Amino acid sequence: MRPVNAVVCLVILLAFAPPSLLAAEAAEPPSRDVLDSVVELIRSGDADLLPVALEKVRGGLKGEDFTRELAEVVLPGLERSQEKAALIAALSDRGDKAALPAIMAMAQGPAEAFVRAAAIRGVAALGGPDEVPFLESVLFGESGTVDAARGALVAIRSDIVSPRMVIALGDKARSGSQRLVIVGILSERRETSALPALVAAAVDADADVRAAAMKALGAMGGPEQIPGMVAGLLASRTDTERSEADRAIVQVCKEHRSKDLAAAALLDRFRAADPAAREVLLPTLARVGGAAVLEIVDGLIASPDAADRKLGLVALSRWPDATVKDRLLHLVAQASTEEEREMLLAGLIRIAPLPNNSLEPVEKLALVEQTMALCRRDQDRGRLLERASAIRTVETLRFVLPYADQPALAESACQSIVELAHQRKLRDGNKDEFMAALDTVLATTKNEEIADRAQRYKLGKTWERKKQ
Amino acid sequence: MAFDLNALDAPFTALAGFDWGADADFFKSIDAAVVAAHGDTSLRADLEKRFGALLGGSTSRATKEYVCRKLAMIGTGVSVPALAALLTDADNSHMARFALERIDAPEAAAALRKALGVVEGSLKIGMISSLASRGDLQSVAVIGGLLGGDATIAAAAAAALGTLATPEAAAALAGAKPAGDMAAAVVDARLACAEAFLAKGDRKAAKAIYSSISASIGDAPKTHRERAVRVAAKRGLLAAAE
Repeated sequence: MRPVNAVVCLVILLAFAPPSLLAAEAAEPPSRDVLDSVVELIRSGDADLLPVALEKVRGGLKGEDFTRELAEVVLPGLERSQEKAALIAALSDRGDKAALPAIMAMAQGPAEAFVRAAAIRGVAALGGPDEVPFLESVLFGESGTVDAARGALVAIRSDIVSPRMVIALGDKARSGSQRLVIVGILSERRETSALPALVAAAVDADADVRAAAMKALGAMGGPEQIPGMVAGLLASRTDTERSEADRAIVQVCKEHRSKDLAAAALLDRFRAADPAAREVLLPTLARVGGAAVLEIVDGLIASPDAADRKLGLVALSRWPDATVKDRLLHLVAQASTEEEREMLLAGLIRIAPLPNNSLEPVEKLALVEQTMALCRRDQDRGRLLERASAIRTVETLRFVLPYADQPALAESACQSIVELAHQRKLRDGNKDEFMAALDTVLATTKNEEIADRAQRYKLGKTWERKKQ
Repeated sequence: MAFDLNALDAPFTALAGFDWGADADFFKSIDAAVVAAHGDTSLRADLEKRFGALLGGSTSRATKEYVCRKLAMIGTGVSVPALAALLTDADNSHMARFALERIDAPEAAAALRKALGVVEGSLKIGMISSLASRGDLQSVAVIGGLLGGDATIAAAAAAALGTLATPEAAAALAGAKPAGDMAAAVVDARLACAEAFLAKGDRKAAKAIYSSISASIGDAPKTHRERAVRVAAKRGLLAAAE
C-alpha cells in the first residue's frame, strides 16, 4: 500500500471508530495528573508519603517521556537534597536509561556529596562501559564520593572494569590505599581474569594490600594461584598477616573444586623451598593434611636435627583431623621437654572432639579420656572438658559430670554440661540424667550466665547465645 | 472399581460410638471412601446418608466434628438440613459452618442466612464470617443492617462487607456512623472494597472511596494508624488515577 493511501485509510478508520474505542486508546497512557500528584508528594517533604510517590517512580508511570520529565525537569527543580537523593535512587531502580544523562549531570555537578553519591550509584545501575572512565575518575578523586564510586565499579555491568582496574593496580602513581580499594573491587567483581593481578598484589609493598589480595585469592583462586599465594605467605611480616595468608591458602587447598591439585601445588612449593621458607610453609601444609605431607612430617620428627624435629612436631600439632591421634599420643608419652609435651597435648585437645575429625562419637570420647589421662595441668584439663561438649552424647555428660566436684575444674565441667543440655533432643531424651546434672551445676557454679542457662534448661526453655 | 459399601458398616458403627482419645484406626477406611466418592455419585449419596444420620441424636462432639470435616469435602444440598440443625448449637455451630461454607449448594448459603437472623453473640459473628467467606452477595443487605448494632458484631459485619466488596457493601460502609474501635474496622473494610474495585478495573468507584478516606484524615494525621491509613489512601488514589 502506498503511504498516502495508508494515511487516508487511517483517517477514515478513526472517523468511523466507535467513541468507546477512541476513549480507551486515549486512556491508555497514564494520566498527567498522576505525575503531578507524584511530584507534589515528592516536593511536600512528607516522610510518610514520599515512599508512596517513589514507589510510583520505581514501577509506575510507564514510558520514557515520564522518565525524562522526572529526571530532567523534576529532579533539578527539587529544593531539598534529601528528596533529590531519594528521587535519584528511585529513578535508578526504575531501570530506564533515559534518566542516565540527568543522573550523570547530577553526579558531575555541584550537589552535596550524598546526592552525588546517590547519582554515582544511579550511574552504575543505568550505565555501562561508557560511564566506567567517569567512575574511575571519581574513585581516584575527592574523598566524599570514593565509597560510592567503589560500589558503582563493583556493580556496573561492563567488561572493561576489571582490565582498567588491573592497569590502575599496576600504576606506580597509585597510593597504597588506592591499591587496596582496587583489590577490593576486583575481589567483589569475582572476575577470574583479574587473578594474575591479585597474585601480583599478594606481594605488594603495602601490608593491607597484600592481606586483601590474599583474602581475595582464598575466595577466588585455584591451583594455578598457589605458587603466587605461597609467595604472598612468605612476604607476610606479622603473625596476624601470616595467619590470614595461611587461612587463604588452606581455603583453596580444602574448598576449591580442584583442591587436590591445589594441595599438590602447595607440596611442590614446599619441596622446592629453602629451609627458612619451609619453616613458614610447613604449618600451612600441615593444616591441609594428607598422606604425602604426613610422610614429610614423620621424616622431620625422626630427624636428629632439633630444629627439624620441632618443625615436624609443630606441624603435627596443627593437623586438621584425628588421623594422627596415635602419633600424637605416642609422642606426648615420649616428649623430651615440657614445652614439646604441652604443644602436642594442645594438638590432642584440639582434634579429639572436632566435629569432622574422622572419628565416631564413641571414639572421640575415648580419645578425650586418653588425653585427660595425659594432662598434668588443670588449665589443660579444663580446656579439654569444655571442648568435650562438642561430642553431643549422654556418655559425654557422664564423663564430664564427676569433674563438677573438683573445685579447680568445676566451672569448666559446668560450662560443658550446659552446652550439652542446650541440645534439646539430647536433653529431652535423657531427661532424668540431665535434670540431676543441671541441679549439680546450679549448686556448684558461681557464673551467673551458666546458672541462668541451667535454670532455663531445667524449665524446658531455650537460651540465646549472645552475638559476639 | 466399585467401592464395597458393606465394608463401611463396621467403621461407621465405630464412628457412631467414637470420642476423642479412642482408637481412630477406622478413620482410614472412611477417609478412603470419601476420596473414592469424588466422581462416584452413588457412593457419595450413600456416604452423605450415613454421615447425616450421625449428626443428630446422641453422637459425641468428636464424631460430629469428624463428620463435618468429611461433609465439607463431599457434601451436597442433601446434607444441608442436618448441618443447619447444628448452627444454633454452641458446641457444634463452628464445625457445621466449616462444612456449610464449603458445600457448593445454594441451600447452604440459605441455611447460614436463616441462622444469622436467629443466633446471637459469637455464633452470629460466625454466620457473618461464613457468609462472607462464601461470597454470598444476597446477604449484603442484612449484614449491612448490623453495622449500627453491637460493636463486636458491627466490626465483624464491616469486615464481611469489605470481603464481599459490592457497590452495595461499599455504600453501606460509607453510610455507617462508627465510633471507637468500630471506626477502624469500617475504614479497613472500605479500603478492602476500594482494592477490590481497583482489581476489577472500576477505578472511579475505587477513587471515590480513597478520596473520601483521604479527606477524612486530612494532611495532619494524629495517630500512627491515621498515618498508615493516609498512606494507603494516597497510594490507592495514585493507583486509581494511573
